[in-house]
This record gives sequence, C-alpha cells and structure tokens, in this order.
Amino acid sequence: MTELLVKNAYVIDPLNGIRGEVMDIAVRDGWIVESVKDGAEVIDASGLLTLPGGIDSHTHICGTKVNFGRYMMPEDMRAGRTARRGVMHSTSGYSVPTTYGNSYRYCAMGYTSVLEGAMAPLEARHTHEEFAATPLQDTMANTLFDGNWPVMEAVRDRDVKRAAAIVAWTLSAAKGFAIKLTNPGGSEAWGWGRNVQCIRETVPHFGVTPAEIIETLIRANELLRLPHSVHLHCNNLGVPGNYTCTIGSMELAPDLNPDRQSLYLTHVQFHAYGGTSWKDICSKAEPVAHAVNRRPQITIDMGQMMFGKTTTMTADGPMEFNLYRLHHNKWSNHDVELETASGIIPVYYSRTSVVNCVMWAIGLELALLVADPWQCLLATDNPNGGPFIRYPEIIALLMSRRYREEELATLAPGTLSRITLPALDRELDWHDIAVMTRAGQARALGIRSIGKGHLGIGAEADIAVYPLRVDETDPSRQYQDVIRAFRKTAWTVKQGRPVARDGEILVPGVNKTIWAQSRVPAEFDMGKDAEFAKNFDRYYTVRMSNYPVQDLYLQRSLCMESEAQL
Amino acid sequence: MIVKDVICPFCACLCDDLDVHVEDGRVTGVDNACDLGSHKFMTDHRLEGPIRRTASGWQEIPLEEAIRETAELLEAAERPLLYGWSGTCGEAQSAGVHLAERVGGVIDATTSVCHGPSILAIQEVGHPGCTLGQVKNRADVVVYWGCNPQHAHPRHLSRYTTYADGFFVHNAFKERKVIVADIRGTDSTNLADEFIRLQPGGDYAVLGALRAMVRGKGSVVPPEVAGVSREQLQRIADLCKKAKYGAFFFGMGLTQTAGKYKNIRNAIELVDELSRHTKWTLTPMRGHFNVYGFNEVCTWMTGYPYAVDFARGLAFYNPGETTAVDILARRECDMCLVVASDPAAHFPAEAVEHLASIPVVQLDPFPNLTTAFARIQIPVAVSGIDAEGTAYRMDGVPLRMRKVLDRGCPDDASILREITRIINDGGGP
Amino acid sequence: MRVILTARPRKNPFIPVEAETIVPARFLPPMEGMTVAVGNRTRPLTDIFEVAVEGNATDAAGVEVVLRGDNSRLKRIGEYMEAGKILVEGDIGMHCGNFMKGGEIEIRGNADGWLGREMRGGRILCHGSASHYCGSGYRGEKHGMRGGVLEVKGGSGDFTAEYLAGGEVIIHGDCGDMPGVEMKGGTLTIHGSCTRPCGNMTGGTCTVLGKVTGMLPTFLRAGTVTWEPGGVILTRFEGDVANRGKGTLLAREWQYTP
Repeated sequence: MTELLVKNAYVIDPLNGIRGEVMDIAVRDGWIVESVKDGAEVIDASGLLTLPGGIDSHTHICGTKVNFGRYMMPEDMRAGRTARRGVMHSTSGYSVPTTYGNSYRYCAMGYTSVLEGAMAPLEARHTHEEFAATPLQDTMANTLFDGNWPVMEAVRDRDVKRAAAIVAWTLSAAKGFAIKLTNPGGSEAWGWGRNVQCIRETVPHFGVTPAEIIETLIRANELLRLPHSVHLHCNNLGVPGNYTCTIGSMELAPDLNPDRQSLYLTHVQFHAYGGTSWKDICSKAEPVAHAVNRRPQITIDMGQMMFGKTTTMTADGPMEFNLYRLHHNKWSNHDVELETASGIIPVYYSRTSVVNCVMWAIGLELALLVADPWQCLLATDNPNGGPFIRYPEIIALLMSRRYREEELATLAPGTLSRITLPALDRELDWHDIAVMTRAGQARALGIRSIGKGHLGIGAEADIAVYPLRVDETDPSRQYQDVIRAFRKTAWTVKQGRPVARDGEILVPGVNKTIWAQSRVPAEFDMGKDAEFAKNFDRYYTVRMSNYPVQDLYLQRSLCMESEAQL
Repeated sequence: MIVKDVICPFCACLCDDLDVHVEDGRVTGVDNACDLGSHKFMTDHRLEGPIRRTASGWQEIPLEEAIRETAELLEAAERPLLYGWSGTCGEAQSAGVHLAERVGGVIDATTSVCHGPSILAIQEVGHPGCTLGQVKNRADVVVYWGCNPQHAHPRHLSRYTTYADGFFVHNAFKERKVIVADIRGTDSTNLADEFIRLQPGGDYAVLGALRAMVRGKGSVVPPEVAGVSREQLQRIADLCKKAKYGAFFFGMGLTQTAGKYKNIRNAIELVDELSRHTKWTLTPMRGHFNVYGFNEVCTWMTGYPYAVDFARGLAFYNPGETTAVDILARRECDMCLVVASDPAAHFPAEAVEHLASIPVVQLDPFPNLTTAFARIQIPVAVSGIDAEGTAYRMDGVPLRMRKVLDRGCPDDASILREITRIINDGGGP
Repeated sequence: MRVILTARPRKNPFIPVEAETIVPARFLPPMEGMTVAVGNRTRPLTDIFEVAVEGNATDAAGVEVVLRGDNSRLKRIGEYMEAGKILVEGDIGMHCGNFMKGGEIEIRGNADGWLGREMRGGRILCHGSASHYCGSGYRGEKHGMRGGVLEVKGGSGDFTAEYLAGGEVIIHGDCGDMPGVEMKGGTLTIHGSCTRPCGNMTGGTCTVLGKVTGMLPTFLRAGTVTWEPGGVILTRFEGDVANRGKGTLLAREWQYTP
C-alpha cells in the first residue's frame, strides 16, 4: 500500500465545482481518498496551482501514419534530439517526436491521458505497440470508420443496428475507444483518387452520403452506449467556404445523451473558412461558434494553428494530396483496404501568409466566441496545427488580450479585415483553462466515470502541480509567466506516483489502455455472421482470425463495458 | 494436428492462410505455402545448444555462460555493432534497440543492403502507398520494376495482383494489365502485357523520360533511352495515365543499381505525377518477413528506420556512415552481435574479412556462414514457428506470428533482455 | 594564435573520433575541459592529441588550428565554425566543416565523406580529393549548402553538391555519379568529367568543362554559351523537364550513353 499527500495545493477542480481552494489531496494506491496516515510520502505544493492531470482529446502520436511521419522526416527527428539520461531513453523529433519523446514531453506538461486521433482497425496492433512505448500516459484510440465497407453497406440499407453491430465487433477487435469519422465517404472516394465535395454527395459505388454515414453512426453510437460520442473530422477540411459544410454537419446531430455531447467535431479551425478561394478566404468562426452555442449536443476542439514548422497528418487522404499539389513538398499516402485512408506532408505556417494568419486567428476566435468552455476544448490536432508543446502559448493567448494584440501587430497586411479577433475582449480565466485542458475532455470522452479529469474522492490520482501562484499572477499582463508555468510542472503525479519533477522524468512508467466493449445480443455478433465473415476473407488480405488484437498487446487494459440496446 | 491461418515467416508477403500439420512436436506438412515458406517450416537442422569457439574446436556451453560472456563483450566494446533483425519479431527488435542504446553501439538491419535506398528516397519525396488489399480490390494496371516476384515472392501475384480477384475486379487475369521492367527476360517478364527491357543502369533515365511524358514534355526525350524506344515509352505513359488504379511494385533491380535511392525517388515522383491524373500507389517488395517491422520499431523508438548510432548517447542516423557494411569495411567496430540474419553470406568480402578479426556473437537457430566467424552462437526459437511475436508486412500491416510447436528454446527477445539486465545490474560506461 | 594538435598513435586507429569541439573559437583562453568521443567513450582532447599553443588571440578570427599526424578518422571538425582557420596537414575524416558559417578550412590531403555539408559561409579548400556527398545537404532537408565557397583541387565522389541551394562548389578533377542532383541554386563548376549530372534540377548553374556521360534524356537543349577564359563553347540545357525544368546546365562534351 502506498500513500501520498499533496499538501497546500491551490486546487481548481471544475468537475467538483472547486474554483480555487487551498487543500490537501490524499492518495492511497493510486486513488484519491479522504485522508492518509502520517507515514505517507509528502509533496508540498506550496500554494501552487494544482489541476487534475491534463487530458488531450485529439492528438496524433501513435500508429501507422504517425510513424510514417517520423520516418520520412529525418530532418524533423534531428531537430529535437535528447540523450539518454537516468531512466529516460534518448528521444528524437520536433513535430513528430518518438514515442518516448512524446511521453516525456507530455509528462513534463502535466498530461496524464491522451486520445490518439486516428487508428485504422486493420493496423490497430501497430498503434497498441506504440502505446506501450508511451509509458507515462494512459491511452485511448479513436477508431476509423469513415470508409468502412460493411458499415457503408449497412448505412445504405438503413440498418442502424447492423451498423452498430459491426462497430461493436470492430472496436473489440481493435481494442478501440470510440468511433472516428474522418472526411466520411471521402476515404472511399479517394480509393479512386476522388473526394466528396459536401455532405450530400454520394460516395461512388456505395450509394451513401457522408450525412447518412454521420447520422447513422451517431445513432449507432448511442445504441451501443459507448463512453464517447462520434468524433468527426468534417468533410472539406481546409477548403475556403467550408464553414457551411461544418454547420450542416452539426445540424445532423440530435441530442441523444444527457451526460455529454452527441457529436464531437474536431479541429474546427480548419473547418471555419469563408470566401471562395485562397484570395478571399476569411474567418467564419462567428457563425460556427454561434451554431455551437445553440446546440448543447455539440462539443468542439479548437485545432489551433501556430506559426512555424510542423507536419500535417490525417486520415483525410485527398486533403493531404491537395496540400501536396499546393506546396509540392514531400508527400506520403496510405490507403487502408475496406477502411480508410491517410496522408502526411510537412508544412510551414508563416506570418507573411495572409491565409496562415487568418487560420491562426480563427482558432482563438472559436475559443473566445463559444460561450461555454465545456463546449470548446484546447487542442492543435497535434501536430497538424502545431506541436503540443505549444499549448502553453495558446493558454496565454486565450487569457491575455494584450498578448493577442502584440501578436496581431505582427501579422501579414490584409489579415485584419478578414478576422474578428481584434474586436474580442474576452479573457479566459484559470477555471476556463482547467475546463478546456482536462475537465472538459473527461466529460466529453465519458471517462469521468473511471476517475479521470477531477480530484474528488474516488478519482484516479493524476495530478499536475504548476509552478504558478494564482493570487500573485495576473494572466492578462504576465502571459510569459503563464507560458513558463504550463510548460513544465513542479510535479506530475500519475496514479499516485510522482513521475516528473521540474521536467525531469522520475520513473520508466507503465500505462494502461482504455478501450470500449459494447456487448451485443448473439444475433448481432459479427464474429458469427456468415455474410460478414465471407466478405471479410474475400476482400481483406488478412484472415478474420488474424485480425483481432490479442490481449497481450495492452500492457494494462481497462475495458469500459456497456450493454448495447439493439 | 492442423494449425490453421498460420502466418508464413519467410518473405514480406506474410501470407496468413497457411495450414501447418504438426505431429509429435514437428512440422510434417504445410498447405497453401509456396516452396520458400514450406521449406522454412520443414527444415530442421538446428543447433542443439549454445556453442563457443575454442582453439580445439566448438565447445558446448550453458546458456547463462553464453549470455554473460556476450554481455561482457558488448560492454567492453568501444564501437559495438548490433546487426540483422529481419528474421525475428518486433519484441526482439525492440529489445535490440534498447540494448544498442544502453551500450552506445550502432544498430542496423538488413535493410541497409536491400531496401535502404527505398527508405532514403521516401525521406526525400515521401511514400504514396496503400495496403495490398487496395491493389487486389481495385487495380487494373500493375507494374513490377526490377524484381522477379515469380521467384522471390511467389504468391504475390495470386494473393494481391495479377490473379487476385477483388471487389471491383471480378476477373483479375483478364482485367488487369501487367507491365514488367527488367534488364533481361525472366519468369515474371514472361507474364507481362508490356515488357520494358532496358540496359543495366538505365532505370533512372527511363523513369525520368516517363515522368516527362506524363507531364506532356515527351518531345524532349531522345528516340531511345537506355535501349528502350520512345514509342514504347509513350505507350507505357499513356497506359499508365488511362489506368483507373495503378500499382507500382519494385525490388533490387532499382535499389541496387547505380544511383540506388535516386532510382526509387524517380519512381515515386512518377507515381506522384500520375496521381495528378488518376490513382496510383507504390509499394517496395520487401524481402525478409519482418524487415519492415524493424524499420517501424526502430523509428518509433529512435526516430530513424535503421543505421542508428548511439555512441554519443542520442540517436544519429547517416547511411553510408552508420550502416553495417561501411562500419565493417572501414574496420570501425570492435565487436559484433548478429541476430536473425547472415551477414557473412551477403556482405562484400572487405566487410566479412573484418568480422574475422573481432569477437562475433550470433543469435540464430541454424548454423550458417556467419557461424564460421562467430565466437559464440546461441540457438533461439524460430519466430513464427516456435516463437510468437509481431511482424509487419511489406505494406505495413502488422500481424501476430503464431507459435505452432515448442522446442524448449528461448526466444531472441528474452535473451536480449537478459543481456541488458546483466549490463544494467553490473553497471557500465 | 596557433594551436598545433598532433595526433597521437592509437592502439586501435580505426575507431572513429568525433571532435566537434575542434573549432577555432573553442581554443580561446581559457582552453579547458575539452573532450572528444572515441567510439562510445569520452576522452580528454589531450589523450588523443599533443597540444602546443603559440601566441595569443582575443577573438576566434585570430586563431589558427593546425592538425598533424593521422587524422583520417577524425570526424566533425569545424562544425558550425564562424571564424578563424583550421589547417589539416594530411587527410581528414568525415563531416569536416559541416554547417560552417565563416572562417577558413584548408586540407592538404584528402577529405572523407560529407565535406562542407550544409555550409552557410566561409571557405573550404581541399588540395586532395573529396569523397562522396561533398558540399551536400542532410537527408530530408530541402536545402543543402546555402553559402560559402568549397573548392577541391582533386576530384570528388558521388552526389557532389546534392541539394545545392547557394554558394559555390568547384571541383577541379572528375566527379563521380550524379553531381548537382536536386540542385536549386548556387553554382557548381566541374573542371573534369562526371556521369549523370543535375537530375531534377530546379535552379542554379552547373558547368562541366570535361565530359558528361549518361546525360539525362529529360534536359531541354537551349543553344550554346561561351565560357571565359579560354573561349570554350558549352552546350546549354535548361533544367530537367521531368521536374519543373529550371536551372542551367552547361557542358562542353556530352553523350546520352554511359
């Protein structure tokens, strides 16, 4: 039995309504308890800002396309190298760090749980192998269904229960956490080098539209009672004028769940563009934010873009190819049979580009115009908008109008008339930030019930102590101190064990992978469905018996079970 | 007993539909495998236990002693080389990378004498790829360039290309066109609808000419390029542009011909150019069943796919400098650990000569040419036969190799971890 | 100030020595705690070299480092150098003068691979021959050498000036295969002969005063140019049309066959 006492912590714990109170946090065997005995290990938080461990609800850190990104970019690898030291392995990578690199850097920032943005079920084993080498964060995987053949056939046949059954079988096989749709329908079109232009366009051969895929899967998700909602990367990412598609996608979502959103739209910055071309692109963050404000069943994340070098990598194959045509940079593509697609291309976001400046403003506008921070979470779609190590700067920008004004002054001429950011006075406070970087994610992902995202009794003891005194810091003026503090915790505690101290990693770490299993009635078990099995072995190039990820791939497994209502 | 859906541990086709017959702890037959795969399952002249070379001949030694001596040799070395890796599973590859990092050595895989150039090209221009099922289900044009799949990947055509019916291609043999490029006729060129016969060393020029033609600049190209007529080249370019889905496969004919990675780069850029008109993908015909696995594991752990030098405590990558052949030929390394490969059989004489002058330890179930240079050999279980583990197919799909029998042999991963533990417990540099 | 480093004989002279500390600025007083890496071991500089110092200097520009003895396995000297001079009296190992911004490196013997990789400025003069990747870039980076002057009196190996983006590379002897491949700026002048130059060229100028064999079939011929001094007539090619067809290749003699 191990006990820990974090004394004198200045706690902000939104899920428990705590907005800044000095308290002691008692931990036993990895859980937060009422009190501990005198012999417990003590961490003196000395009045420093203490939050639940950070949760990233959309980040690309593990799996086939992430690894593609690493290995095609040795120049990115050499830009971020650290030597082996103590328990820390050597690391490499700036925008696409190695798995240990990701884990140590997230840990130093106080992050203890992460949701991998995209995993193709056929290649799930790869994602889980990389999860095991990201040892300081608990992991979850968004499982791609946007181009899934049996699902699209069920959608075409208007058979929501069959779609749900296929999802249940596949999530179990892949040990996945949630339904991810990236450019739904578009990945199948990309199998022929094509794309879909809007949510009402029909996918070649399969006779379904993206809208139908989205609607069916939202309902399937709720029938399966999965912890998270459908997680959507809308069609038309990056295309000027795409905001109408984004709002149209939001309009597809009924309000089906009292505890959380019914549809999570990710990296919405890339989907809030007005205009008709790069020449007249402008921000449509306002109508998009208003659409979110009117719909409690929607949660979004920002997808903030930050200036500098980074790598784009998504399952949106056709979009990445278009970026290649625009920039003529090196481009990788990986289409996954019967399932999905992906593309990778390095980019440089420049202050001299009006388009990039508008993109930068949009992410911030979304966060400032969405009234409820629970509905707009902080993320960069790491690394697409920028590497996650830039999150502290985003926090500072949201908390300080002065910082924003200084940045606005450096933007390319012609930007200001296309954006609303200069007119926005709102400055988010510490509580808002705590919501947007952990509490909101726990609610959106449905993992509060397993003890994530809060510091109440019964919570998992994932704790981040930031070197900052709230009563001595005016974030509106002292934004550099905000950045410094959020870059490196004084302490990161994971499951009751101190794992980082002032940025130094203390233990090798062992994580758990959280996945979802929805139990379906026997007649909906795809494992016994003759048609499913026949098509599987006929069209895939692996045998159905070799497809599911074996249990031993998860170092530690936390299966969130539910009973499907089919 | 028949074990079904076994994954073949020979080549990177990773055929996973083998039925393996096992009686009394031995494989008695294999269904669905090609000759290469069957042979691997049926071969059984394994080393019985660890051996050490002495002045008077081979001596059998206990496993702990072999492991301990290996640990000591690695720790004492100033520039150890850990080479091979393609014939074993990811768990061992991962342990190998940790070990190389721990001892400040260089880790490299057979990639560096095989598809290394493909990776170098990908690092310049990216990889427009797919999983093999995309090809099976959609492709109407297939290109094999500088490879002979009939010999090296015998079931490739029946599982993934020429003969493989798919969702959109109901009669593959009739509906697919096959283009084969090679410097001479082979069993694979005999199947081609178009055989591009080019002069040795002419691949770069021919691929460049095709690129120019796809860009509409064919008029610049002279009447003949490396022995191929401009007419045939234009015909090929048109065929490729009109494809609904084209799949480009290539092998050593491109990677080991003068220019090496530049040849692959040109092929990738041709596929990129064609992708502006229609759908094309490219896949390297990886050789060993899990060589790509090493590249994957090494990349997520170190950032680089092979040839990683840990001498300075961080990962340094520079093929030509940190690759095994170069390090051996320059006599830079003072100790070599060989796992799951046979460098003495494949490396240039200069490199092999150096192996004779340094301590070499080999982890391998079978005696091979490298055994002649080894001071110690430790037999291990054969991955995919008596050891389980993860392997990555040539297109990146990860599968779990099965264990169909037990010989009481330790696997590579456990031995490597034990070596690392001994070094960590005993202290070191 | 002159710092003379004389390589001591080593028991195993084949284990490479990495000496990125050997940069003129580093030798300004107080010169202490300098180490080099011998394989995976760290050793004091004085273990590997006898060190003799003559005179004084107040800044790097006044420092000349002289290397004597067998330095053919000595890597990374002059890395990131900004001022001063390094004189190697014999051969030098890999990665000499990488990322150099200023100052001068002179090599009396031959240079191993990656001489002047990613140079930004300054001058490198090699009296002997250079090996592969002379004046080249780093894997994956779009731009290689960006500035400075790199001159080799002898020949050079394959992939000379790969990814050249700026500066000048001059090879007096023959080059190996594919010099100037992927070049986009700067000038590459080859007084001798070479095979298959300038594949994928998108900018810059490459001049071959010897013979080109294996001329790539995708270059657009565009008249002739007279090369001064000497009044030699060179054929002018405009870029590689397999790519964007920009840049200039000038060749005195050329043929498509290898």
